[in-house]
Amino acid sequence: MAEQGSLDFAVRYPFSPSAKDAITDIAVNERIIILARNRIMKSLMNDSSGRMLIHEADKKEDIASFAVARMILGILRNNYLTNTFAVNESKMMHHFLNREDEATALEVSTIFGIVPKPKAGAKPVEDILELDLPSYLRCCPRSPAYRLINRRLVHGMVEIKSDEWKRLVEEAARKHIERIPIVKDPPEELKEAGKKILETLPKTDNSKLEAIKVEDHPPCVAKLLDNLAKHENLPHQARWFLAAYFLSLNTSEADIVKIFSGAPDYSEKVTSYQVAHIKKKGYSVPSCATVLGYGLCVADCRIGSPLAWHRLGRQRKEEIRK
Amino acid sequence: MNEQERQLITKIFSEYYAEAELDIPGIEHREFGIGNYKKIDARHLSFGSVSDFRRYLTTNTPFFVSHSTSYYDFPGATPIQKKQWKGADVVFDLDIHAEGKYGAYALLDRVKADLVRLVDDFLIGDFGVDEKDLIIDFSGNRGYHVHIRDKRFLPIGAEERRELVDYIMGHGLDYSKFFSDSYSADSRKARLVGPRPEEGGYRGRFARGVIKLLETDPKSISRLFSDPGKREFFISGVKEGNWSKTSLKFDDLVSRLKIVADGLAVQSVDTDAGVTQDLSKLIRVPNTIHGETGLIAKVIDGRGAIEKFEPLRDALIETKTIANETMMILFTEDVPALVLGGENMGPFKKDERREFRLPISMFYVLKGSASIVIR
Ligand code: SF4
Repeated sequence: MAEQGSLDFAVRYPFSPSAKDAITDIAVNERIIILARNRIMKSLMNDSSGRMLIHEADKKEDIASFAVARMILGILRNNYLTNTFAVNESKMMHHFLNREDEATALEVSTIFGIVPKPKAGAKPVEDILELDLPSYLRCCPRSPAYRLINRRLVHGMVEIKSDEWKRLVEEAARKHIERIPIVKDPPEELKEAGKKILETLPKTDNSKLEAIKVEDHPPCVAKLLDNLAKHENLPHQARWFLAAYFLSLNTSEADIVKIFSGAPDYSEKVTSYQVAHIKKKGYSVPSCATVLGYGLCVADCRIGSPLAWHRLGRQRKEEIRK
Repeated sequence: MNEQERQLITKIFSEYYAEAELDIPGIEHREFGIGNYKKIDARHLSFGSVSDFRRYLTTNTPFFVSHSTSYYDFPGATPIQKKQWKGADVVFDLDIHAEGKYGAYALLDRVKADLVRLVDDFLIGDFGVDEKDLIIDFSGNRGYHVHIRDKRFLPIGAEERRELVDYIMGHGLDYSKFFSDSYSADSRKARLVGPRPEEGGYRGRFARGVIKLLETDPKSISRLFSDPGKREFFISGVKEGNWSKTSLKFDDLVSRLKIVADGLAVQSVDTDAGVTQDLSKLIRVPNTIHGETGLIAKVIDGRGAIEKFEPLRDALIETKTIANETMMILFTEDVPALVLGGENMGPFKKDERREFRLPISMFYVLKGSASIVIR
């Protein structure tokens, strides 16, 4: 448990105002830059474990490494790195949050303007909280369970359970961390650190673009491919839909795995396994109604199934795209 | 419409604008678009105040005027990234499409019924928006606009707005999830637990809808419910959230209730135009004229006034100077019957000459069905 204001709190929640206060007396040095770089590298390996820190100086350096990592990302302005970092950091935060007492969790949540209240009249064992609609919309993950239509919504209050609340805070943290600062006149050392990170990145794989052309596919699929190209995180259903869709077009498993290589939490092993699994199960491509239900339909093609896109004439396709 | 007609009509519009009620919150932060031959010929305009805007309307008098739902630091800047977005009203566009030039007007009551449900059930009921933060206006042609000017909603992004539209339109609504089986402690019989009528949101509306349908047209759910005893017994259960007081199988019952679920959403939200989720959209300025009809995008005086509002009567231009004037027109095509200005009009035949009150004649001219007879 970590009270707000304490150094441990700042270590766990390095985006908090108390984290800022904790490092006012710290100057950026070589060690912190290395820590910052490691922090970014760690996210590239999907490593969301925490570090044991005992000494006050170590703790402060750790907090500073978060701020410096964001500056490096601000210099690089590389979507893939930024989004990967944001996903990993917010996951780490979620682990911490799960171990906090209610009051502390609420303090973290409040940083993002998320202030749920116990639902009036509900018994504590029922575990029902209420969050105001605008806040809910700002930070609900894009997955069917969180879609507004699947929620109880009355008088501007959305019902949530406490584990969902923490998931919302994770999402809010992710969005917050994604918004990297604009760094004017960056110091040489940071530019240098950024360069080193870029060197470790695998060269962008253009072969996937040759196999799959965005413009050949219906608007919903095109949108998701575009999201991936921008290294945005896709909800589970979206990945599943893409995989099922391309499998039914007889795209090779290897090519499908490549499609996902842009995802900020991409792991070749996991993705290959998942694609193979979907293939084995022989899932059929969801209908437009289902895609709509996932919140992934972006046009009004009136074709019943995204696969029917390939039977449309060129002119009709153009019209719909407009 | 020829140039001479255009000038005449422009003069009438200009007279209207001299005294129109133009109350536009945050006018200096909005982008404006104007159109004469199309709905929007030019955009990225901005006005510092209502009086500047009025001066523009009375001197340049466009046929269409729209403003952004978004607020910007620099509304006149281009490209759009330079405008610096500050937030946006949440706006819903309700309309109806029908065969023929005049087909939609007969169906405006249907849009109005949707409007009432949108406002009562969804915006006030579910979203918790205060009535005073709602601006409701006629679109000037085939529907209605609702602007939510609630500060808390200003910052939400395009995708979140799409969530609101999907919610209102019932996209992805699976009402079978309202139900669950449970076993009561005393008897070992399964019970179908479902929503209660006093609940909020879709669940409560669904339960109330089922009860209402049972009371008005029970057969549309099942013949069983034609029997008053069986019907009342079932309803008494529903009121307590127990949906098992019937001999129908649970699955069968739930699938029969689809007819109620299908009627819960608001159908006429125009999603094609993307007014709600596209933050760069421009929407007709409330109380300005729609150049294809000469009808005003009239602001309705609060929720309570919706039912009494008759767009084809109350949205006509009625300024002091033109109130008693008439205009002779010659129909250039056949026009079906219509209630306009509170009177039964038509049908009219091509080449018929008629003299009407000015706003009515103007309506037919702007619709492209008649030309002005200049005497
Ligand atoms: S209508 Fe169907 S194919 Fe078109 S975008 Fe929506 S889901 Fe995709």
